[in-house]
This record gives sequence, structure tokens and C-alpha cells, in this order.
Amino acid sequence: MAIYSQILANGLMLGALYACLAVGFSLVWGVLNVINMLHGSFIILGGYLTWFAWHGWGIHPIVMLPVVGALLFALGFALQKLVINRVVSAPVLTTLTLTFGLDMILYNVMTYWFTATPRRVQLDLGAVSLGPVTLPVDRLVGTALALVLTLALYAVMRGSNIGRAIVAVRMDRSAAELMGIRTERIYAITFGIGALMAGVAGVVFASVFPITTNVTGTYLGKAFVVCVVGGLGSVPGALVGGLVLGLVESLAGHWFGPQQAITAGFVLMLAILLTRPTGLVGVRGYE
Amino acid sequence: MFERDLRRRAASTPRRTGLLAAALLAALAGTAAAPALAQETIKIGAPLALTGGLADEGHKQDLVWKMWVEKVNAAGGLAVGDKKMKVELIEYDYQSEGQRASQLAEKLINDDKVQFLFAPFGSGHTKIVGGVGERYQVPTIACVASSESVFDQSLKHLFGTLSPNGGMTTAMVKMFKEKFPDTKTIAVLGRDDVFPKSMAEGIAKAAEAQGLTVAYKELYPVGTMDHAAALSSIKAAKPDWIYVSGYTQDLILARKQMQDLGVTAPIVTMVTGPSYKEFTEGLGKLADGITSSSWWHHATNYTGQGVWPTTADFYKDFQAKTKGADPDYVHGSCAAAGEVIAEALKRTGSLDKAKLRDAIASTDIQTFYGPIKFGPTGMNLPRELPIIQVQDETIKVLAPADIKNAELIAMPK
Repeated sequence: MAIYSQILANGLMLGALYACLAVGFSLVWGVLNVINMLHGSFIILGGYLTWFAWHGWGIHPIVMLPVVGALLFALGFALQKLVINRVVSAPVLTTLTLTFGLDMILYNVMTYWFTATPRRVQLDLGAVSLGPVTLPVDRLVGTALALVLTLALYAVMRGSNIGRAIVAVRMDRSAAELMGIRTERIYAITFGIGALMAGVAGVVFASVFPITTNVTGTYLGKAFVVCVVGGLGSVPGALVGGLVLGLVESLAGHWFGPQQAITAGFVLMLAILLTRPTGLVGVRGYE
Repeated sequence: MFERDLRRRAASTPRRTGLLAAALLAALAGTAAAPALAQETIKIGAPLALTGGLADEGHKQDLVWKMWVEKVNAAGGLAVGDKKMKVELIEYDYQSEGQRASQLAEKLINDDKVQFLFAPFGSGHTKIVGGVGERYQVPTIACVASSESVFDQSLKHLFGTLSPNGGMTTAMVKMFKEKFPDTKTIAVLGRDDVFPKSMAEGIAKAAEAQGLTVAYKELYPVGTMDHAAALSSIKAAKPDWIYVSGYTQDLILARKQMQDLGVTAPIVTMVTGPSYKEFTEGLGKLADGITSSSWWHHATNYTGQGVWPTTADFYKDFQAKTKGADPDYVHGSCAAAGEVIAEALKRTGSLDKAKLRDAIASTDIQTFYGPIKFGPTGMNLPRELPIIQVQDETIKVLAPADIKNAELIAMPK
């Protein structure tokens, strides 16, 4: 029994990190109908900024959270405003190709500057024991941050004018324009928020996972699965999708061996696509 | 719209034909001029992963090959019979994509007319480039491929300077059992990829053959972000020895999660982790106590022929070039790969591909990197490979006896 409580705890902590990784991706896909291939590289960029600040000047990652968030928001906002907005109403394949190309540039620039050497923020905060369950402190902090950030985004989406405007644009672009919402600006802000969430996920990840450009594709793939499982375009969807995926991978890793853990995640995704195309908590019309 | 398109197409046709003719002419001129040019320099082609996932490894190869070429040319070039010829290294970035490596290898052979190829990093991509070299009968030297499955394809033009990785398992089990006689069980976690998988399977086989019980043995797929499930199962199995294979980022993550989840054993081995300085740098204190095996270590002391007569000479040059970095086995093995070519040219005194291939096959030389003598499959013959351990964040050599500078210690609690 002890091993199961440990495996459930592992799964939940991993799941919260997955949610944090996917929420920005889900927002951009849901609102802009843009599959943002840059997402994985944004996370790693956030991670590198954190690592360099920590390694070069000894700045604690927590301090970097708002800084990285602001920088990535600016980057995302500018990219959408100057580049992606030009083709944002084109079929999804066009924007996918565009962000794919942009990703190749960002990915290779990062590999060129930073090299692909895996780096790690060595906080090593230790672990706490709750009976038979061992909980690594940095993952606990990561989990808490992931939950707080995701809930903060949820609050912004529900409570602020910008958030309501984003939701309005997502529901009906033409109607939103008729109501006086400047949709192009909302697009840029949404993409900025997507990049911001990727950046802060990078900060959280920097002390948990090694940072290297090698994993950008892995992160992007996880974001896809989380979105499909949870449901597109909604903050609770990313949270539910992340937690479910974390638990499934953790249990499958124990039952069938780690080799099958990722497979189990994809089987779950297929099953959801077949039975609930909107995802577990997705909104109709966003499948 | 359609009409305009048609008109544009019609207008461009004669121009295109003209271009084609020009290209054909240029190609013809190129082939006519090639033999004359080829006499002036020895051309070595290298498809390299300078960007993409393997960029770090690609840059290591690039660095030492350039060092070697610089040193050779400064001394007047390579001896071909009794005259000396300069060396030209032609590199292309294949962006860590196997398909492109194969295209670029063809380009190097057909357009650049190289006489030799250097294969890129890793068993997988070496197999691809080795296949192209075979098709055109261009001798290909691989310096970072150790899986026997690359060399048992009867590629007659592929030669590797690393020894078979089988040499890394049996000796290790024997030594650890000798030093820690209480070692009864081993847990093995390996990455499902050519080299790490063969190491994981090799160690399990070697351990069983020497009477250990394999308490856990699983592979994890490429793209695994989390080892918690596997490590929790390993913790429950309480092994005396934990052996993890993978690439640096996997191993850093695995070690960190072992610490987090309180998973430990008297012996923890990670392959190839500590062979790379990135591993110890990424882990800091957490790297202490981890054992590994490698194909070469700069603490070795070999003497031989070539531009670097001793290991110390190479080490000194390398440190000067990199402002104080330590070379790892990739640097050592690749720098020595050039000497294989030098020796073959010296002995044959010609640029005839078939003669050169035969000369390389019968290579039997001593270098700063160690002896190079190819077995029937084209792989460097097995030798005693270094077993290493991280102690106080530096790499110590535990074996072989003649270069040993520390004793095996248990993992710090």
C-alpha cells in the first residue's frame, strides 16, 4: 500500500507540473486557433533566463518569476502583433507552419548561444516524509506554484476586463468586434499571456528538470496530450488534463514498467478523442 | 490569376533551360578539374551535428579535428610516401537529422571529392554515414560509435576507434564484487536507445553470469520526463547496486530524483554520465560517489605516434585551446581518428581508395589515445577500459591498475 501512496503522490506532483506546462498552449490554441509550436522553446527560454540569473548573479528563481514572465509576455506580444497577426485568420495549417518556422529559429539560436548542455539550478531543497510517502520539497513548491499560477490565470480570465474580452473573442470574433473589442490587440495579449505562462513554467521547471534545448519537442508533445485530455481553451481543462496524465503515467510506469508510461498517456489521449472529443472538461465547439 | 501564372511560367522556361545548361557545363568542368585539385590536398569530409539535439557532441568533434588539422598543416602536412600534402577538412552541419547526414555525406563524396569521411556522433548516425561511405567505397573513420550492431553489418569501409562496449561490463561487475563482496543484487534502468540499451542489457547479463540477482530491469523510452515511478519500484526492491544508462539530461534527472525520493544503494553507476563534465557540473555535490566506465580518460598515459606523441601533450594543447577545459573520451577518440588516416597514407604512399582501405584495415599503431588496431569487423580491439568514480566533484580513476588514482568508495548517505 505504501508504494501506491508514493506513486499517487508522484503522479499528482508531476501532473501539476504538466498543467503548468500546458495552460498557456491551451489558451492560445483555444482563443486564437493557433497551434503554437514555439511553446516548448518558450519554456526552455524561461528556464535558461532563470539559470543564467541564478548561475551568474545568484538570483533566486522565485525572484525571476515576474521578470521572466514580463520578458516572455513582451516577446509573445511582439511576435503576435508583428508576425502572426498577419496570418491569424488563415487556415490552421498556415499558422502552424509559421510558428513551426519561428520555433526552428528560436530553437537553433538558443542551441547556438547556450549550447544543448543540460544545466540545472541546484537548489536541492531536500524532501519531507509523510509516513511512507517522500515528497521532494522543490516539486512541492513547483506544484504549489503551478496551481497558484493556473488559478491566477483563471481569476484573470473570469474577473478582469481583459479576461472577459479574451473569452468574448473566443466565443465569437465578429460579435466581439461589434462590441468595440479590438480583436488584434486581444490576440496579441492572449499570445503574450501564453508565452508568459510558458516562461513561468520554465522558471518552475528549472529547479526540477535539467534545462536543455533537447527537450523542447517533449514539452510541446506533453502540452498537446494535456490539451486533448483536459479540453481545449479552458484553464480548468489544462489543470484536469495535466493531473490525469500525471496519474496515468505514474501508475502505468509502476504496473507495466517505465517503457509503457508514455504509451499509456497516448492511449488515454486516443480513448478521450474517441469518447469525449471535447476533452474531460472542455467546452463544446472547441474539439 | 491563373492566366497570369501561366504567362509567368511560360516566360521563365527559356531562362530555366539556360540555367540548367549552365549548371551542366559547370558540373562537367568541375569533374574535369577535380583530379588535378585532388592531388594538392588530402580532403576529409565530415557531416557534423553543429545544431540540433546533438550539437554539443558535434562541436566537440569539430574542435579536435580542427586542432588536429592545424597541427598537421603547421608541420607541413601528412606524408604520402615521400612527399607531404596538406589536409583540408570539409564540414557540413547536418542539424542532428539522420536523413540530412546521409545527403551531406553523398555531397562530400560527389561534389567535394573527399578521400575520407569522419562519421558523426553516436551509433545511429554512424551507421547512416558508414552506409554511404560503403556505397562509394570511401574509407570512413568513426570515433564515437561503440555498439557492435553498427560494425556487424559487413561494411568494409567503416572503422571505429572506440572499443566494443562489451568491455565495459564484465570487468566492472568483477571489480565491484571484489571490492564490495556484499553486493548480491542489481537494479538496471536503461534508456531505450541503441547505446544505452545495449549497456543496460550487457550489465544485466554480466551481473547474472557472475552470480548477482537482477532485482529490477526496465527500459524507459526516449522523451521520458520523469523517473519517479521507476525509482519508486527500485526503492522497493532494495538493490545493492543501481545501474542507470542514458544521456546526460536523463541521468541528471534520475540522480536528482533518486535524492528526492531517498533511493540509494552502496554502488550507483551511471553510464556515460561522469564521462562528461556537463554531468558533474549539472549535479554538483549530488554527483559524488557515482561510478561509470569510459573509453578513455585524460589521466591515462599512453605514448605513440602522430602530432601528439603523449596523452600529456594532447592534454596541454587542449587546455590551451579551450582555456582550461578537460577533454573527454569524445575529444580523445576523435583526435586520434586522424592518426589512422595519417598512418594509412604514409604506408601506401598513394591516394588509391582500395589501397588506403586495405592499409586502414591493417592499422596497428600506438597513439596518445591508446592502441588502435581494428578487428575483423572494423572495430578497435577490446582493451581494459577505465572505470571511474566522482569523488569530491572530480573524476577519479579506479581501474585499470596502471592508471588508478583512487579506491572505490560507497555512495555517500
